[in-house]
Amino acid sequence: MLCTGRILAASNSRTPCLPYSVTTTTPFMLSGRYSSGKLKPNLKWRCTASDSDASSFAPSIDSESSASDTNAAGFCIIEGPETVQDFAKMELQEIQDNIRSRRNKIFLQMEEVRRLRIQQRIKSAELGILKEEQETELPNFPSFIPFLPPLNSSNLRLYYASCFSLIAGIMIFGGLLAPTLELKLGLGGTSYADFIRSMHLPMQLSQVDPIVASFSGGAVGVISALMVVEINNVKQQEDKRCKYCLGTGYLACARCSSTGALVLIEPVSTLNGGDQPLSPPKTERCPNCSGAGKVMCPTCLCTGMAMASEHDPRIDPFD
Amino acid sequence: MSCRNISMACPREKSRSPFSFIARNRNSQSNSRICFELKFSSAGMVPAAVTTDVASPSRTTSEEKVYDVVLKQAALVKQKKTGRSIHEKKLLEQRTGNISWDLLNKAYDRCGEICAEFAKTFYLGTLLMTPERKRAIWAIYAWCRRTDELVDGPIASHLTPRALDRWEERLAGLFEGHPYDMFDAALSDTVSKFPVDIQPFKHMIQGMRVDLKKSRYKNFDELYLYCYYVAGTVGLMTVPVMGIAPESKSSAESVYNAALALGIANQLTNILRDVGEDARRGRIYLPQDELGQAGLSDDDIFRGKVTEKWRNFISGQIKRARMLFDEAERGIAELNSASRWPVWASLLIYRQILDVIEANDYDNFRKRAFVGRAKKLVFLSVAFGKAVAAK
Repeated sequence: MLCTGRILAASNSRTPCLPYSVTTTTPFMLSGRYSSGKLKPNLKWRCTASDSDASSFAPSIDSESSASDTNAAGFCIIEGPETVQDFAKMELQEIQDNIRSRRNKIFLQMEEVRRLRIQQRIKSAELGILKEEQETELPNFPSFIPFLPPLNSSNLRLYYASCFSLIAGIMIFGGLLAPTLELKLGLGGTSYADFIRSMHLPMQLSQVDPIVASFSGGAVGVISALMVVEINNVKQQEDKRCKYCLGTGYLACARCSSTGALVLIEPVSTLNGGDQPLSPPKTERCPNCSGAGKVMCPTCLCTGMAMASEHDPRIDPFD
Repeated sequence: MSCRNISMACPREKSRSPFSFIARNRNSQSNSRICFELKFSSAGMVPAAVTTDVASPSRTTSEEKVYDVVLKQAALVKQKKTGRSIHEKKLLEQRTGNISWDLLNKAYDRCGEICAEFAKTFYLGTLLMTPERKRAIWAIYAWCRRTDELVDGPIASHLTPRALDRWEERLAGLFEGHPYDMFDAALSDTVSKFPVDIQPFKHMIQGMRVDLKKSRYKNFDELYLYCYYVAGTVGLMTVPVMGIAPESKSSAESVYNAALALGIANQLTNILRDVGEDARRGRIYLPQDELGQAGLSDDDIFRGKVTEKWRNFISGQIKRARMLFDEAERGIAELNSASRWPVWASLLIYRQILDVIEANDYDNFRKRAFVGRAKKLVFLSVAFGKAVAAK
């Protein structure tokens, strides 16, 4: 690795792609190095290659480090027309390698954050600073059925119990109590036959088969209940979305009306050469969105999530 | 200044009040309550101009600055009325005409959804307006809301001054007919149809810059400026959309002043309502010197205990906010007849929040003062009566 590092360093300008192929094997070995938080000084490692681990990584970072440095310094959450162009000059393979190396860096840094947080928790417990949330309780799941309190695993038993008792009660009522008491639940204590008669409908309607009746009633109840639950589910999911981009993370580019191309309008003179057919209008890539047709949503930073907390990572690095 | 004999009786509020929903209690309140009360009694707030010849000497620097802006806006409106020829309008529309009609409609619809989502009562108010005005107000609301979220949302930690500069560049772009994304496109279309000026928008971004740095306000002067930046500007933005009634006899300046008063009153109401919430985020918008005079300190606020001192202090603040509301009321009659009802409604409902704070025994630490649905409907009808009676 040492020699390849040196050779690569020498021929850095010509083949920037090569160094990246080495990086895939080394990110975890570099974890020790990274924990000291020295990403930027990789610049200095270019020709020294003093550490075998570092050297294999150094050339790969080097060509992009200057770019990444300026990017880090110039990073701004509000996108402009030129921000998407920054990487426009790279080749496809280069871009893929860049993505891979950056994802590695993200992983390592998130790992560091996790460890730092553990330390923070330990230290604040030592100093007696109270932590607000003790995450020992199981999380609550919001109920899909409207107006019901949130569920959790212990609550679930209560739900089972009330559900079964309700079913049992209704079955007993319908199967035993009602016929025994000869309950007539129509208006003014009428039976179904009386009701049909009073509505002056054909008497055949009153001879509905009990099995058919109960099946239809049950089916209607089940279907409407399922609908209610589903609608509530959709509403809850929608609430989690960023309202501006509706969860897509992007907004339509206004310059090209999300087509990605701008039509160049050239005035055509019709005086001379009037017989020539008009050539199709020339189009150029929209400079706003670089042809993507959509631009970043600044509210959710392309996560598509409603801004609920400050801890949403800007992107999920491990999807 | 000395010739403020113009009866600033016509505050134009409405436009701002709805937006006060956006500008939450971020700003600080004035510091010197006593000072302020003196001002009120002697010279009155900016719009409540003294009718005597004695110039109001106690106008503070912020009020001066704000008043200058108001004068400029009023002047611009007159200019725009005469200056913008049909030809100019067509040019502007051509530039924005790059946006497809379909996309523009979708953009406006989305602005409406945003408004309905984040400011329900305000949205209901906008439904009382004409379709064109409704869409324009939605577009303005969406822009203000997005700007607000830059400093208030989770990405606030990533916000650099450069981001706000970029945001301002986008604003300039959309005013020139080059909107960046669909929401900008809706606002760009709005400013091409109504004589809206860019200055209040720029000032709102300035207010965001202030909010990034400041979490305490020394005196009412600083608070007033902040309130202007985040809420007063909203009034100035929406006045051209609401339109001054053609038969109105008062000057544009007075209408703008009333709108300004409404915005600031709304913002002060916001602040008073959200004292606890802001304190939990480490921000105190109440003026430090007034707090000191009342014998209160930041710790008292963080502790969140309602004491007699607190009650007196808050009732003084409420009184000031109410005076501003009264001032704003006087200008609603000068608005276009179609716009009066929504403005009245939002003024009445928002002013009611102050009553609710009092009813909650001044506990704005824990209890969130809100106006119930039934009361809102009542005020809606009262507002209708007032809007009709004003004619």
